[in-house]
Amino acid sequence: MQKQNKKRKLSFKKTVSNNLFALKAIWSGSKVYLLVNLGISAASAVLGFLSETYLLRVIVNGVQSGKSIDDIIKYIVILGIITVVFYTSTNAFGHILSRKMQRRIAANIEKQLFRQSARVELACYETPEFYDKYVRAMDEAYNRMMGVMWALGALISKFVALSADSLLLFVIDPWLILFGLFPLLLGFIKKVENRLSHKHQVELKTVKRKANYVKRTFYLSDYAKEVRIGNMHLQLLEDFRNTFNEYKALMKKYSFKRASLVFLQHIGLEVVTILGATLYSVWSVMCVGPENGGMMVGDCLVVLSSIGVISRNLNNLVQNFAQFDEHALFLEDVRFFLDYTPTILDGDKTAPKEGGDLVVKDLSFRYEGAESDTLKDINFTLHKGERIALVGSNGSGKTTLVKLLMRLYDPREGEITLNGDNIKDFTVDSYRHSFGTVFQDFKVFSLNVCENVIMRPEGEGDRELVESALKESGIYEKIAGLDKGLDSILTREFDDDGVNLSIGEQQKLSLARVFADYTPFVILDEPSSALDPIAEYKMFENMIRATKGRSVIFISHRLSSAVLADRVILMDKGQIAEIGTHNELLAQNGKYAEMFRRQAENYLGSEVTENA
Amino acid sequence: MPKENKQKLSSIIKNNIFMIGQVAKYTPSYFFWMVLDGVIWGLINSVSAFFSFNLLNTVSAGSNFPHALKLILMMAAFTTLTYAFNEIHAYIINALLKQKLHIKMHEELFKKALSLDLACFDDPEFYNDFVWAMNESDTRATAIMDDTNKLVNRIVASTSLFGLLITIDPVIAIILFVSSCVTVICNLIGNKINFQHQKEGNPLWRKRGYINRVFHLSDYAKEIRISKADELLVREYDQNTEKLIEIDIKYGKKYFLFYGLGWNMMGQLTMYSMLLYMVLQLKTGSLAIGGFAATVGVVWNIRWTFTSLIEYLTKYPAHSLYVEKYRQFLRFIPEIKGGKTDIPEFESLEFRNVSFSYDFASHSAYRLRKDGQKQTNNIGKLVLKNVSFKITSGEKVAIVGYNGAGKTTLIKLIMRLYDPTEGEILYNGVNIKEYDAVAFRRMIGTVFQDYKIFATTIARNVMNGKYVEETDKETVIKALDAADFTGKLLTLNDGINTQLTREFDDQGTNLSGGEAQKIAIARVFATDYPIVIMDEPSSALDPVAEYNLNRSILKHTDDKTVVFISHRLSTTRIADRIYMFANGEMIEQGSHEELLAVDGKYAEMFRVQSEKYKEDHSA
Repeated sequence: MQKQNKKRKLSFKKTVSNNLFALKAIWSGSKVYLLVNLGISAASAVLGFLSETYLLRVIVNGVQSGKSIDDIIKYIVILGIITVVFYTSTNAFGHILSRKMQRRIAANIEKQLFRQSARVELACYETPEFYDKYVRAMDEAYNRMMGVMWALGALISKFVALSADSLLLFVIDPWLILFGLFPLLLGFIKKVENRLSHKHQVELKTVKRKANYVKRTFYLSDYAKEVRIGNMHLQLLEDFRNTFNEYKALMKKYSFKRASLVFLQHIGLEVVTILGATLYSVWSVMCVGPENGGMMVGDCLVVLSSIGVISRNLNNLVQNFAQFDEHALFLEDVRFFLDYTPTILDGDKTAPKEGGDLVVKDLSFRYEGAESDTLKDINFTLHKGERIALVGSNGSGKTTLVKLLMRLYDPREGEITLNGDNIKDFTVDSYRHSFGTVFQDFKVFSLNVCENVIMRPEGEGDRELVESALKESGIYEKIAGLDKGLDSILTREFDDDGVNLSIGEQQKLSLARVFADYTPFVILDEPSSALDPIAEYKMFENMIRATKGRSVIFISHRLSSAVLADRVILMDKGQIAEIGTHNELLAQNGKYAEMFRRQAENYLGSEVTENA
Repeated sequence: MPKENKQKLSSIIKNNIFMIGQVAKYTPSYFFWMVLDGVIWGLINSVSAFFSFNLLNTVSAGSNFPHALKLILMMAAFTTLTYAFNEIHAYIINALLKQKLHIKMHEELFKKALSLDLACFDDPEFYNDFVWAMNESDTRATAIMDDTNKLVNRIVASTSLFGLLITIDPVIAIILFVSSCVTVICNLIGNKINFQHQKEGNPLWRKRGYINRVFHLSDYAKEIRISKADELLVREYDQNTEKLIEIDIKYGKKYFLFYGLGWNMMGQLTMYSMLLYMVLQLKTGSLAIGGFAATVGVVWNIRWTFTSLIEYLTKYPAHSLYVEKYRQFLRFIPEIKGGKTDIPEFESLEFRNVSFSYDFASHSAYRLRKDGQKQTNNIGKLVLKNVSFKITSGEKVAIVGYNGAGKTTLIKLIMRLYDPTEGEILYNGVNIKEYDAVAFRRMIGTVFQDYKIFATTIARNVMNGKYVEETDKETVIKALDAADFTGKLLTLNDGINTQLTREFDDQGTNLSGGEAQKIAIARVFATDYPIVIMDEPSSALDPVAEYNLNRSILKHTDDKTVVFISHRLSTTRIADRIYMFANGEMIEQGSHEELLAVDGKYAEMFRVQSEKYKEDHSA
């Protein structure tokens, strides 16, 4: 399937190198697989020639010239045996022997892609172009590699068939070659048609997009309520009907031209070339005669079948090369992705297990392609064992700051140091693993409970660790009550016996991750407003308890929870607006105090504002 | 893919004929052209076989060149005509008619979709069928037509080729017929094996899809980077590969037995023995050269035609499964039906002993659809239990409670997106079932928690449908102002004609969550609804914006009846009356002060939420 792939043109050199890349990747997966498949392509073309075109000639000419029937029978029998043996063994290869090789080749490339995807920096996920390439690479890599091999096989077999048939024609009558070459002239008609067809498809896309949008609004449950209460559906229906007119207009513009061009091609091939060559050879047999250097009846038969083979193959040759172009285009994405060097690089040191003071100095950060800084001149220290609440309105840079602390991004300016060492000096893995995190959009994997908590392959003693972590986070009873306990697979993704946990339970599970791994740093992103106030409050207290003795940063949306922190940082438009303990900030009577009062007012009525 | 259960032959035939009937009903000309095209192309193989038979006989007879020339010219004329027909059909007629079918089928489907109860959207099984019907039924219809076209083609081709062969050499025709039957059997078995192979491999492929997704979805990216989950997943992948190889080889062996040895080897052997037989015939002179060459051609052709005939036939069972869904969808009768469209002015809305459960097994329409399949009759967990209250015109009501208390369900019942399982809802004392659902819903303006913005202009979005510049412009601008959107509106070059979303316009404007919500709120102001429902209007906003919004809403709904839904009690202070829900029951009601005085659950909830603020204020 051809995905929406902008018509980029690769240079010839790139195209060749990408196709070679695919062949090399197959070669490194299984040499036998590549060689046998290409060999089969060549051999089946030879066999096809011998059993179709050439066989008829041997028989008819042999019978006509009165050759011994035994020779003909011998030829047929030998060819028959070879054919049966050949096709049976290729079948055995294709259905049984090659299966393992195929999977190995696929696993080879896909695992490379997986590894790389875990390596590239998070920023890549936010650049749509990069992300598209990545998804395409993942989806297409294996199929495109195989595509290159099959296209090469087809090319080889066409080349063999073409040379054999042309050689035979040449031997029979050199003039016949002219008929065979005629389709090459038709190539340019095809080119024009292709260009038209491409334009047609591109213009159709906008029409299709409209129609698809209307369809979606009618079936997506998200829209179901909305569509039922207004008159929007009438408007949508009208829009939908109108797409037919647009479709028709596009057809008028392109289809007549396209149909005529295709007609010319077909007539050129089927009438001018094939029937023309037939007429010529019939004339040669009947009016010139074998005795005057004309053809024999068997030759005439050969012409009938091989002109078709030659002209159709020549006609398809263009398509065959186009396949290489197309595969190369997709493989370009694969190679781009695999060759990509992450900008977040490892340092030499291992991050200290016991943590320490994390100092943020003059830090600024800007997202790729953004026009302004998301973070500006940030300075603060997270002391060992301290709890900081990060507050501020939506889009003030809280989450970004946290991501920088975890080195999911590198700062544009300034630096972050841990015990005086720039965090870039540590290996990425060791540094990141010194953080325990509950993200706001935490994820549960389709693995068993145990692995979901420790998030690494299970080792000795992990069971006890997980059990105590689950107890701490308050979900042990639920898990222990499951049929398979810790071995229960989560989600019904592909296991119908899988366990679907509620959002609250999932959150507890992700909290258990923080309990199970005693990391020096903990980052807690306060759960969204999906939870009701009491559950939310309990969850939050749990989180705080979980992290005694560790350095904690928690992002808080409701200021009531900021009270639990040692210090509060108020972010505003990417900068630290205020910093201090809760009481200090209230006394300062600045933005934080105002926000706190606003929220409090909703609960306590106007007397708060009056008192203040 | 639907689950491939065993289907009866009769239902396969019925379903496919049903779909072909639908096509013939919507676009009779499309149906006609497809059949005609199949017949014409079916004849081509036999015509050219007949042609080469005659031509070669003429050539080997040696003398009559003018006759040979005539044959070739006739063939040229025939070829030209068929291609002219083909091009016109494929590029113009067929393309246009297909599109027409697409539009007509979907119009019907859309209407059907609109009449569906919202309950259907909550039933995953029904919803899957429904999405499929909406998305794919027309492509499935055209696929059935394409296959039928090919099937007609192959049937015409193989009968005419056999007919031709019998006139040339009956013995060969019979041998070939028998070997074709063997081919059919081998193919059918091969298909069955393939199907089992797929079925057994499916869970494994699902798992691979999942692993792939986890690596490429940005949702998981953070989690993977701070843990060693990638190692876990690669390990799962490796295990998966090994299992896949095992299955592949297991079925590959079976397939080879029937396909590689059975179909392929048998086929080749038959071909070569027939060739030997014909050579002997040729030698004894009982077969002319033309006959010989034509026979060889016909034999190859028949073999190929037969194989593909089977291929097309085996597609129908799968088609049938999909058509079955489509038919189920069409058969589905919505439960919420029409009634009086004339709705009197709003005075009061009353819930009387209303209970509700989302379990659809208790709904008669659903049972009807599941006709013949097993069903559970137990009524599921009640989301609302015996709820009674009354809202009168002009009242401001707040409905509060924890998550899962049944607040949003209550709103859906008010709007008649669902009907109560027990009890009744009265509008001015009359059961709302007496009224037409669509007309009734027009009385209520709702801002859903999960409101949607449509990919059209701001004006149309606010008017919720048709927008006429002359009459509606002022309304839209006023409504946007009431929703506190004016500030943003001034920054937009096209004003209220700004195209929203980038759905089909790369220049379209993407609004932030807060801004989009304001558009949704403006809808309520643009139409004069007697009743307005606000479902958690402040959930996406930060405290300051929440504060501003609440003020604005109050200001602009002075004379209207407003129902607020919230789990943040900050909003509820402004209500005349508060209904507190817990576990589907209404547990307390009264004004804010009254409820605080009662010192019950509401007071407790309020205290929990305000505690921190209070503490520190007094500190």
